[in-house]
Amino acid sequence: MERIPILVTGGCGFLGTAVVSALLDIQRYAITVIDINPPSLGSTTFPNDVRYVRCDVLDPATLLKTFSESRPAIVIHTVGVYPLGMKRYSMEGKEMVFEVNVEGTKNVIDASRMCGAKGIVYTSSVTVVFDELNKDFRNVDETWPTGRAGTSYGLSKAIAEDIVLSANAHDFVTCALRSAPIFGPNDTAIIPTLHSCIAAGQTPFILGTGTNFQDFVYVVNVADAHVLAVGNLLNSQTAAGETMFITNGTPVTTRDLCLAVWKEFGHVPRFQITIPEALASWMGFGAEWVSWLTSTEGLLSRGIVSDGCRDRYASILKARRVLGYAPRVSLEEGLKISCQHYQKQLNGRSKR
Amino acid sequence: MMPSPSTMLYYVFHPNELRSIIQWKVWHNPVHERNEATECESLKRCFHFLNLTSRSFATVILELHPNLLVPVTLFYLVLRGLDTVEDDMTIPLSKKEPILRNFQDVLDQDGWNFQENGPDEKDRQLLVEFNVVIEEFKKIKPVYRDIIKDITKRMGNGMADYANNAEFNAGVNTIQDYELYCHYVAGLVGEGCTRLFVEAGLANEALLKKPELMESMGQFLQQVNITRDIKEDQDDGRRFWPKEIWSKHVDNFDDLFKPENKEKALNASSEMILTALTRADDCLYYLAGLREQSVFNFCAIPQSMAIATLEVCFQNYALFQKNVKITKGEACQLMVESTQNLQLVCEVFRRYARKIAKKNNPHDPNFLKISVTLGRIEQFIESIFPSQKPPVDNKSPASVEEAERKRKEDHEAKWDLIYMFTAVAGTVIVITFIMLFVAWLAGARFDIAYYQFKEELGKLLGYNTGPAQVTEVHVASDKSEL
Repeated sequence: MERIPILVTGGCGFLGTAVVSALLDIQRYAITVIDINPPSLGSTTFPNDVRYVRCDVLDPATLLKTFSESRPAIVIHTVGVYPLGMKRYSMEGKEMVFEVNVEGTKNVIDASRMCGAKGIVYTSSVTVVFDELNKDFRNVDETWPTGRAGTSYGLSKAIAEDIVLSANAHDFVTCALRSAPIFGPNDTAIIPTLHSCIAAGQTPFILGTGTNFQDFVYVVNVADAHVLAVGNLLNSQTAAGETMFITNGTPVTTRDLCLAVWKEFGHVPRFQITIPEALASWMGFGAEWVSWLTSTEGLLSRGIVSDGCRDRYASILKARRVLGYAPRVSLEEGLKISCQHYQKQLNGRSKR
Repeated sequence: MMPSPSTMLYYVFHPNELRSIIQWKVWHNPVHERNEATECESLKRCFHFLNLTSRSFATVILELHPNLLVPVTLFYLVLRGLDTVEDDMTIPLSKKEPILRNFQDVLDQDGWNFQENGPDEKDRQLLVEFNVVIEEFKKIKPVYRDIIKDITKRMGNGMADYANNAEFNAGVNTIQDYELYCHYVAGLVGEGCTRLFVEAGLANEALLKKPELMESMGQFLQQVNITRDIKEDQDDGRRFWPKEIWSKHVDNFDDLFKPENKEKALNASSEMILTALTRADDCLYYLAGLREQSVFNFCAIPQSMAIATLEVCFQNYALFQKNVKITKGEACQLMVESTQNLQLVCEVFRRYARKIAKKNNPHDPNFLKISVTLGRIEQFIESIFPSQKPPVDNKSPASVEEAERKRKEDHEAKWDLIYMFTAVAGTVIVITFIMLFVAWLAGARFDIAYYQFKEELGKLLGYNTGPAQVTEVHVASDKSEL
């Protein structure tokens, strides 16, 4: 059987790698990966099955050339930049974020259309709704409006998502998958950040009530959703023009998630102290000044406090219904795998 | 009965609970009440047995809708009779088995009763006078009879299978066995009640198409009882906690009760509680399908009590030392809250879910699983009673259209109002003119009326009207009268 050509942008990233791996499992697709940083020869896990091309989404000419060569049926666009640290919670450094997340997406859509692709699956984010800071979001569904985000990331993702969805037409079908914060082996954000709290002695402190719920998603589950979306756009196309929340479907309190991660590293705080949100917020404000004065990146900020105290979870009923999505790896199992992987990395580092 | 000093002291420090007790006792009005005047002797005897055999269920059953009162009472008594045969260890298996397997046929035998229970069996009198139950059973609607017989048959056979199973008598093995046992003794009751409710038109028939919901109703109650009764059952030489669960924590069942295994015992108990908790959201879903208040109360009260019981048992070592119970005040508060509406019952579930979350111990091997299960309850409640509404989407075409439509509607409404006023005013004017015209035809003198009106008005306003004018008017009027 002829394999259907699929192109994955950012296919060497954390999520991109998982998507490529999940696509390979189906054994129906011929995969091309573009990335600004493709693996050097022989270093990749899938050397024989995947064609890697160095290409920047901000370079339309090369993009078009690569797309025309591989003539993908469906393009999966996972490229996105995510400001870390304090910039995460503001509009600071907005230009760079918008450049990649919005302009890059436009370029990818244009190239996909011009090379005759049938459609595009776009990796969006729950932040398109949730990044309206200081607000709670409980069991939100896709009827909630976007575009109110107060962060560069959330707003850029919302604009890009709008562009993707409005590009949907009868001969070019598009859909967006709003992923919750992703964790997994090689994740550079959630697990390492939470792990660093242990050494910093922050684990006994509960910010706010500790009863607020958040959604997360294991990387393999998001990858599954992408594969399902590709299959959908190639066949029934019921997902065309649609956006869907993709989470693990099991909201937990932020506090319990932290405790569960720390426990995987053999740490359980011996006592607990609750810091009311208002106080924590002032402490965050102070910490922001300290880090401004010392020009270092602090561990606390008002953004982090607010992020940790809010309810932010969504309903995945639409993804279940439209895509037949079902989280394959449970939160518990996923955390175990991810933490063990990180522990191994840490052990390897200390040996060196 | 005078409360003990310690009880009184307790309520001095828990005035909220005392308030709930008073509130329940004073203000609770039964939704329906049985009418004793119309009852025959055998029915009165049945209610007597109901009050005798069930502590908690009698109250809720007696308030049921008149169509269901007798069928549910008899259903309860039949199952209680079956249970009394099964429980009695003095009856040899060879005798017990045929009775259990054929109990549904007994219901058709006039005058049947059973005298062979051991003297210590607490409900033996019910079986001694079982003929009164059969007497009343004959009188209820045939559809109800069929439902009760069907459930009795399946439960009796399930019980007989267990009575035959020597392995089971040594204790339940797997979680699957445990849930099957709960299915026979409770899940089937859930099914029977649901079929009765639907037959009486008091519950949504969709409940029958989602059998996992009625199963969960029974499972939740039974699993909570089994979890709570560990000490009592152990003292009676019975084991219902499945080996699959406790063996993860201790090697022998009896080790659960050894003080040195305190932590292990607590871990085993939280796994039991977790197993029950996974049913909680189904129970709320089920309650949403009930249409009538008394049926809702009948189902909701035990469920609220159950989740509160789970909360007192959770991370509570007293579970292995004595019978852990919720306080009377708490029970009354739960009854008040469970006899209103689904939203309030959801609040109860959320409150207890949060209490459990607070006690959840990170050292517990099931820490995250419990947390996830509690999250599922919260999410479910949020899905049926959302606490937030999506804000208006200013940029979506739908909301632009909506705004345009609203503008048009406002515009139309304005013109409607104008038309209506014009029409009313027009009608009034036309009628006025017709009346004046008719009056004129009949010879009314509007000129005199006009002058008099002017004069009166002038007086009223205090004008200094000249005498000449007045004379003139008088002359005019004099003439006119001629």
